[in-house]
Amino acid sequence: MKIIKQMYWMCSRQLPFILFLAYLLAIVTAPLFTPHDPLEINMNERLLEPSVEHLFGTDHLGRDLFSRILAGGQVTVGTGLLVLIIVLLSGVPLGMMSGFIGGRFDRYFMRIIDSFMAFPDFIIAIVLSGILGPGMLNLIFAIVVTKWGSYVRLARSTVLSEKEKDYVLMAVVNGLSTFKLIRKHLLPHVVGNVFVLATLDFGKIILLIASLSYIGLGAQPPTPEWGAMLNESTPYFHSSPYLMVIPGIAIMSTVLISNLAGDVLRDRFDVKG
Amino acid sequence: MIHIAKRLIEFMLFLLLLSFISFIFIKLAPGDPVKQMLHVDEVSVTKEQIEALRDELKFNEPLYIQYWYWLKRFFEFDLGHSYITKQPVLSELLSRFPATITLTCASLIVMILISVPLGTLSALYKNKWVDHMSRLFALVGSSIPSFWLGLLFIELFAVKLGILPSMGKGTAKHIILPSLTLGIAMSAVYVRLLRSSLLEGLNEDYVKAARARGISEKRIFLFHVFRRSLIPVITIFGMSLGSLISGTVVIEVLFAYPGIGKMVVDAIIRRDYPVIQGYVLFITILIVMINIFVDICYRYLNPEIRLKGVERR
Amino acid sequence: MSLLTVHQLYIYFRNKPIVKNIDFTVRHGEWFSLIGESGSGKSITASAIGGLLPKEMLIAAGHILFDYKDITHLSNKEFQKIRGKEISYVFQDYQSSFTPFIKIGKQLDEMIQAHCSLTKKERREIAFQALEDVQLPAKRVYDSYPFQLSGGQLQRASIAMAIMLKPKLLIADEPTTALDSITAAHVLEVIANIKEKINCAILFITHDLRMARKYSNTIAVMKQGKIVEVGTKESVIYHPSHPYTKRLLSAVPTIKRITSPTKRDLILQ
Repeated sequence: MKIIKQMYWMCSRQLPFILFLAYLLAIVTAPLFTPHDPLEINMNERLLEPSVEHLFGTDHLGRDLFSRILAGGQVTVGTGLLVLIIVLLSGVPLGMMSGFIGGRFDRYFMRIIDSFMAFPDFIIAIVLSGILGPGMLNLIFAIVVTKWGSYVRLARSTVLSEKEKDYVLMAVVNGLSTFKLIRKHLLPHVVGNVFVLATLDFGKIILLIASLSYIGLGAQPPTPEWGAMLNESTPYFHSSPYLMVIPGIAIMSTVLISNLAGDVLRDRFDVKG
Repeated sequence: MIHIAKRLIEFMLFLLLLSFISFIFIKLAPGDPVKQMLHVDEVSVTKEQIEALRDELKFNEPLYIQYWYWLKRFFEFDLGHSYITKQPVLSELLSRFPATITLTCASLIVMILISVPLGTLSALYKNKWVDHMSRLFALVGSSIPSFWLGLLFIELFAVKLGILPSMGKGTAKHIILPSLTLGIAMSAVYVRLLRSSLLEGLNEDYVKAARARGISEKRIFLFHVFRRSLIPVITIFGMSLGSLISGTVVIEVLFAYPGIGKMVVDAIIRRDYPVIQGYVLFITILIVMINIFVDICYRYLNPEIRLKGVERR
Repeated sequence: MSLLTVHQLYIYFRNKPIVKNIDFTVRHGEWFSLIGESGSGKSITASAIGGLLPKEMLIAAGHILFDYKDITHLSNKEFQKIRGKEISYVFQDYQSSFTPFIKIGKQLDEMIQAHCSLTKKERREIAFQALEDVQLPAKRVYDSYPFQLSGGQLQRASIAMAIMLKPKLLIADEPTTALDSITAAHVLEVIANIKEKINCAILFITHDLRMARKYSNTIAVMKQGKIVEVGTKESVIYHPSHPYTKRLLSAVPTIKRITSPTKRDLILQ
């Protein structure tokens, strides 16, 4: 009985997160198993209902929707991951540095970040893709810019609050080098917090990518991106509702599962994201 | 007052910086706007015509002089003319802005009507079924892409049932679907926020003290808990006004609603630089003004900051 | 003439008893001190009397009689009428006695309004009188926010609020613990004065014997959820019978044993 109870407890705590990682892995590798070429146009098989041959049916150009969803997952989720990686690699060290150095540099730097963060994500993304023009690369750049500030801030504030604690003082008194201090004592805290925030943010990033692609500022046709796919097949929604339902569910379930995982992590580590 | 003045000065500096950055960015952007402008007319273009237009737009001057001209016109409220419609950008913006504001306000009302009751019930009946339902709503609501929700609404209310129009603007009916879509999508966050903020408030020791004084639960909730919870909610609400306005962009495109959001997306796709630039400046000023307004509200609700001059952090 | 009788009271926290079989009686106009270390259940007992137990705790057995009425299982509504009017509280955490963003006057006013139907002017007079009773500048405090007062002032203001409606019982839950010793002595004196003036009984809860020594009539000693000794001040302090009381007493530094440094000593150092 006890073992079952423990397992239940474990699962209820860990499951969303394990599921999330498994999901990410599946999505990123899925295109290896696509039954059809997601870009192959076949005008003889336009707008077919879902069947054994075409699991999710075909779109207005006769492309297999199932293959496009899988490939689109790689584009959407992969782009999201790429954005996160860029943000983490550039934002976290800068934030830690700013917190560690402190003083005037820190003050002015945070002032700039703050004025950036006063603007909603979506506006910055629109403005940037407005200036740079529509396209996936510019979209990545735009989302990196919108998300960047909060990671710099989080890394900085974690370093600041840890720096005040006595054990850091003790380490310094005992002659630990600055580099080792950062690596051994500060970095683990920062990584934990940032990881939680990143999981919480992932869903938002996916939504941003899909929304911007839907209004035509992100991925351009024929790239199989979920938002762009919805945009492309808008005229056919009435006759072929699966063209609307399936990509939407793909986006929603991805965001949902990452939000769940984020909630679990947040509750466990008590991070204010 | 000093504080507000300081914020305003900061705002002016920020604006100058922003104008400079946006000017430079647009200069660096790929594509030749002059050719783009002339191509729209779909007549064969001669070299002389291009040069004439370049001169007219002062594109042949050095960059800093171009910026100077641009800045001078900016302070004369002249944001240039659209490459495509040839109309002054400012008047285009102003003529479309009321539609966006209407949509924003309607969505705001939907958002408040959903999130305040749900958040409050959720906090008062913690871990009861109301709470579970509203948390589920918050989770699903924050996971659903707003444009997809809008598509579902169009399919259901406009196509299947045929009771509401799916695009354009005009009657009050036109605003229902867009504002419902945006309001629902936005309220998910606030249900959650209000709930946790209220729960935090209900656990404060001064609530226990008020109870010990024999103050009724209703009064405690309204005057001692709810008001305090408004502080974080208003702060984030202020930010949300910004995200509401930005959220209108997608919704406007989806419902072909003629606001400034639709205008800028069209402009971006057609590379209509003056319009993009006008939008950037306009929206920046708007959001900064909203932030200053929220700051003032925040101070009013929080006498400790107002009287001691403690900075918010 | 008993005002409050607690009879065989058991309080459970998640199926664990934390107050076990408690009996004591507070008489009209008496200063009753309940002493015990932290976690002994004394504050829980105090909360139970006013129906302020947290949701996870419940009275499993026993009775609380107040003013010849059984108040053990009153509804929250009925408790609301008693709390503040007949039984009032002063807490240790004076920062939280008042809601931080509402002016003190407004909170006093709100409390009078909750219990009596009086005109605005009458309410104001009562509030001013109460503030003057605790030696505070009434007008200034009335128009202040809580954070504008010092700790001692705030604790006195909360005493003013507690006695404003002339309750029969004032429950002072460690009112001096968070204060420095001089301010604490002052607050204690204020409570003693008030007690004489409105002739209420005081249930004084503390972990510090020194605080109980001066004004108490009766002292009860609590340990691990039980009362181990009750008696008059004299019998408990000078002739303790329970070993725990003896230990508690020996732990208190007395003036005799520790001679405080005189001014001369300090100068010599």
